Amino acid sequence: MNLSFAGCGFLGIYHVGVACCFKKYANHLLLNKISGASAGAIAACCLLCDMPLGDLTSNVLRAATEARNKSLGALSPSYNINNLLLEGLEKYLPDDAHIRVSGRLHISMTRVYDGQNVIVSQFDSREELIQALLATAFIPIVSGLFPPKFKGVRYMDGGCSDNLPTLDENTITVSPFCGESDICPRDDSSQLFHINIANTSIELSKHNMYRIARILFPPKPEVLSNMCKQGFDDALRFLHTNNLINCTRCLAVQSAFTVSEKHDENLEYDPQCQECVLQRQEALVSNMPDTVINIFQEAIEKANKGLLNWIFKHRGMKLLSVLSLPYTLPVDIVYATITKFMSAAPQLGNGVWEASKYCMDQMGQILNRVNKTRQQISAQISCQLAITEYGNKYDAESCQDYTMQNKVNLNFTLNLNDGDLPFQQEPSENVPPSRMLKQRPPSITIDGYETNADAFEHILHVTSQQENIMTYYYLDENNTVQVTEIFDVTESDSPLLQATHEKDVNENLEFDEEDWGETLWVSEQDELRSELRKPSLAEVSEYSLEDLEKDTSTLFSDPESEWSSTFKVQELEDEITIPYNNNTIDDDDLRPESDQPLPALSGPIKNNYNLSFVLED
Amino acid sequence: MYWNQFSESKLLSIEQKILSVLKSAYKTKFVEIKSELGSEERIWTISLNTESPNTPLVLLHGFAAGIGFWVKNLDTLSQNRPVYAMDLLGFGRSSRPEFSNDSLEAEKQMVDSIETWRQQMKLDKFILLGHSFGGYLATSYAISYPERVKHLILADPWGFGDKAELPPRNPPLWVKIIGIVFYPFTNLNPLASVRALGPFGPWLIQKLRGDITNKFDDIFDDKSIIPNYIYHCNAQNPTGETAFHHMIQGFGWAKNPMIHRVKNLKNEISITMMYGSNTWMHNLAEKVKEIRPDCSVDVQIIENAGHHIYADQYDQFNEVIVNASNTVDGRTSVVRILTAKNGSHNLKEDEVIESENEEEVRIESS
Repeated sequence: MNLSFAGCGFLGIYHVGVACCFKKYANHLLLNKISGASAGAIAACCLLCDMPLGDLTSNVLRAATEARNKSLGALSPSYNINNLLLEGLEKYLPDDAHIRVSGRLHISMTRVYDGQNVIVSQFDSREELIQALLATAFIPIVSGLFPPKFKGVRYMDGGCSDNLPTLDENTITVSPFCGESDICPRDDSSQLFHINIANTSIELSKHNMYRIARILFPPKPEVLSNMCKQGFDDALRFLHTNNLINCTRCLAVQSAFTVSEKHDENLEYDPQCQECVLQRQEALVSNMPDTVINIFQEAIEKANKGLLNWIFKHRGMKLLSVLSLPYTLPVDIVYATITKFMSAAPQLGNGVWEASKYCMDQMGQILNRVNKTRQQISAQISCQLAITEYGNKYDAESCQDYTMQNKVNLNFTLNLNDGDLPFQQEPSENVPPSRMLKQRPPSITIDGYETNADAFEHILHVTSQQENIMTYYYLDENNTVQVTEIFDVTESDSPLLQATHEKDVNENLEFDEEDWGETLWVSEQDELRSELRKPSLAEVSEYSLEDLEKDTSTLFSDPESEWSSTFKVQELEDEITIPYNNNTIDDDDLRPESDQPLPALSGPIKNNYNLSFVLED
Repeated sequence: MYWNQFSESKLLSIEQKILSVLKSAYKTKFVEIKSELGSEERIWTISLNTESPNTPLVLLHGFAAGIGFWVKNLDTLSQNRPVYAMDLLGFGRSSRPEFSNDSLEAEKQMVDSIETWRQQMKLDKFILLGHSFGGYLATSYAISYPERVKHLILADPWGFGDKAELPPRNPPLWVKIIGIVFYPFTNLNPLASVRALGPFGPWLIQKLRGDITNKFDDIFDDKSIIPNYIYHCNAQNPTGETAFHHMIQGFGWAKNPMIHRVKNLKNEISITMMYGSNTWMHNLAEKVKEIRPDCSVDVQIIENAGHHIYADQYDQFNEVIVNASNTVDGRTSVVRILTAKNGSHNLKEDEVIESENEEEVRIESS
C-alpha cells in the first residue's frame, strides 16, 4: 500500500499528526512509496528520511508564527516562505536524503509553460531534492515571481494540477479537508455539495471553508495543535477500521504470507493474537508523542506570554493593524523588493553576463546559417547523386558518409558538361567564367596526355583503356539496338580518372550562382567549341556517323558493328539533374533529358559509367 | 445562439452515447402522467427485461443526475428481474413543472409523481432503490405508499441527519466579511453558476467534479461525455433543483431530516442501507437500526467507495442489490433449490414459468 499526502499549505501540520501515528503504529506502511504535493511532499520526504518529528513540528510552527506576525499572513511581501523552507530543509535533511528517497518519494509538480502535471521520483543529489521540494511548494505570486528550476525546467505548486497524486489503486490518501479521502477529518455533517479540485475531494461545508482560509493564514498555535491531534486521531481510526495495527510478530507473519504461500505452522497468523489486541487497545487511548506535544506547548506558551503578545492579541490592536494596512503595505513592498535585490546582487552580474552571451550565441548562429546556405545545396546534390548511382547497392545512409567525395563527383560532373560551367576559385572575386576557364589547369591528365575539360573525350579515354564489366544490347520501342556498357572505375586514384592536384582543386571549388546566366552559358559554349574544335554535346544528336568515327574510333567495344545515325550518352536515371541548380541546367539546357550530358562520377568509391549507343537499322 | 447551450437533441444524443455501452436490450420512453398540479407531465423512463416475472426494481437517481448514471449497473441488475429507472420530475429529460415553495409540499409533489408514474407503468409491488437525494425521496415514498414497496434500498442517502450545531469558532475578520458578502448568493440554486457560465458550463463541471468523469473513464474514452451529460441534464429550467433547494437549509442539510420520520415507515418494509467507506455523508445506519428494532435493516459498507458507490465499486454495489433483491424473492427460490436437490419436481402449472429462474438461482448459489 502506498501513501499519498495532499498539498495544503499551513494545514501541513495535519500531516505531522498523521505521520506521528504511522510511525508509532504502522511503520510497515512507510516502507512503500509515498507521494505528495506541496506541503504533503515535504511531509512525505521527512517520513521517508526518518527525520525526527519534533524538528518537523517546530519548523512548521516557526513558519506559522512568522506568518502570523505579518498583518497579511503569508501574503505579506516581506514574508519569504521559500527561504524559510530552504533553511529548514538544508538544516534537517540528512546528507544521503536523495539516496534514501529516490524511487520512493513521488513529488507532484506543475510544469509552468504548459500547466501539465509531472511526477518526479528520481533525485541525483541532495540539492536537486531540495529544489524539487521548493518547486512543489511554490505558489505563484505568493511565494515569488519566478518559479524555481528543477533539472532546467521551471515548476510550480503541484496543487495547480494534481494535489493528491495517487500511484495505484491501493493508495491511502491523506487530506486535511473533509471529503472522500481515506484519512481525512470526518466532520459530523450530511452535506450534498462536494467539489473535486485538482484531485482533492473537498466537501462544501463550513468546516472546510474555515480550513481553506487557513491554507495561507495560519491560525493560533492552539488551533494548529488541535489540527495535528486531529490528524493523529484520523490516522488511528483508519488503521483501526482497516485492522492495520499489529504486533511485530504478526507483521512478520503477514509479510511472509505475501512473499510465499507456504509458511511454518508456528508462524500462522492469529487474528486473536494477544499482543495485537493489546497493542490495539493501547492505541485506542494513545496520544501524540510527547516530543511533539511539548513543542506545541512551548509554542503556545510563547505566543501567550509577555506584555507585547498580550497587547497584540487585543482586538483593538488587531483592528489597528488592519486599518494601518494601506500605509504599512507600501513600506513592506519596498522593503521586500530591496531585500530581494540585495540577495540577488551577486548573481545579478552573472545573469547579465549570461544573457548577453546567449544573445551573442544566437546572433552567431544566425550568421552561420546564412553563410552555410550554399554549402547546404551542394551537400543535397551529392546525396542525390549517390543514391541514384548505386541503386540497390548502397542505401541512403551509407551514402551520407561520402558527402565529401560526392562533392568531388559533382565537380567532375561539371567538367563533363563541356567544362563550360563558370567556376570560381576565390568566392570573393568575381571572375568572368570564360577567363576562369582559361586559367584552369587541365582537369584530367593521363600518361602525360592532356585532356582538357572535355568530358566526352575523357569518357572515351576511360572506355578505351579499361575493359567494361558488362555490356547490354537490347532493342527499345523504336526498334533500335541500345548498347549499355558498364565500367568499373573503382580506383579513383588512378591518373586515368583524376590527377591528384586536380582532386585538390575540385575539393575547393565553389560555384558562383550569380554568373550562371544563359548568355554566358551560350557564348561560352561557342567559344569553347571554336577553341577546342570539338563539338559540344548540344549537337551530339545531329552527329553524323563520319564525324563520330573521326572522333570516337576507339569507342566501340565491338568495332565490327555497323553504327548508323546517332549515338547518345544516356543516363539511366534522370533524377541527377533535378536537384541540381534548377536555374542553370533545367532552364538553360533545352535538350531532351536523354541528350543531356552524363554526369560521370569519379571518386574513391565504386562508380559505374553508363554509356549507351543507339543504333538505327 | 443563446448563451444557455441546452438543446434537447444534444442531451438525447449524449444519453444515447452513454446507454450504447449497455449490453442488454433496453427501451426508453416518456411516461405521460397527470400530476397533482393538474398539468400533463412526462417522465423519461428506461426499462429493461420487462418480461421477467420477478419483482421489479425501480431506481431513483441523486441530485443533478439522470438515468445515464446507472449505466454500470443496469446490465447486472436486470439479469433476473425487470429494472426501471427514471429521470425524476424536474430533472434530466423529464418535464419541468413548478413545484411548491414549501419543502414538505414540494417533496410530496415529487413523491406523488412517482406514484402516478407507477400507476401508468402498471407495477404492483417493487423494490425501490434511491441514491443520495433519490434515497431521501425513496424513503418518503415508502412512508407514503408502503403497500407498493417490497424492499427499500438506500445507497448513501441524503437528508437523514439533523443539522449539526457547529462548535463556536472565531474565524478571522476577513472570512466573516467574505461570508457576509456572499451570503445573498446562497439563495441561488446550487448549480446556478454552471448555467450562468453558458458554453463554459461543462468546463466548470469538469474542473470541479472531474472525479465523476474519472469514475466512468473505464467505459468512455471520450472525457467530455460525462460533463456534457451533467450540464445538459441541468441546463434547463431548474424546477427540480429549486424544489431541492427549498428542502435544504444551511449548507445542504435537510429541513425535514428523515431520521425523525423513518419511524413512520411500516415494519414490513425491510431496508438495505449502503454506504461507501470514504463517503462524507454521515453514516446514520446504526441510528436507523436503533429506531426500527423490529424491522430488518441490513447495513453494507462498501470499501474504497465514496458517495457515488454505484460507479466507484459497481461490482460490489450490484452484488449487494442482487442479493438483497433475491432475498425479497428468496422464499420461493430457496424452497425450489431444496426441491430440486431432492429431485422431486412436482411443479404446479403456475410455477412453470418460474422454473427458469430456478436454474439461475442455483448457478448463483454455486
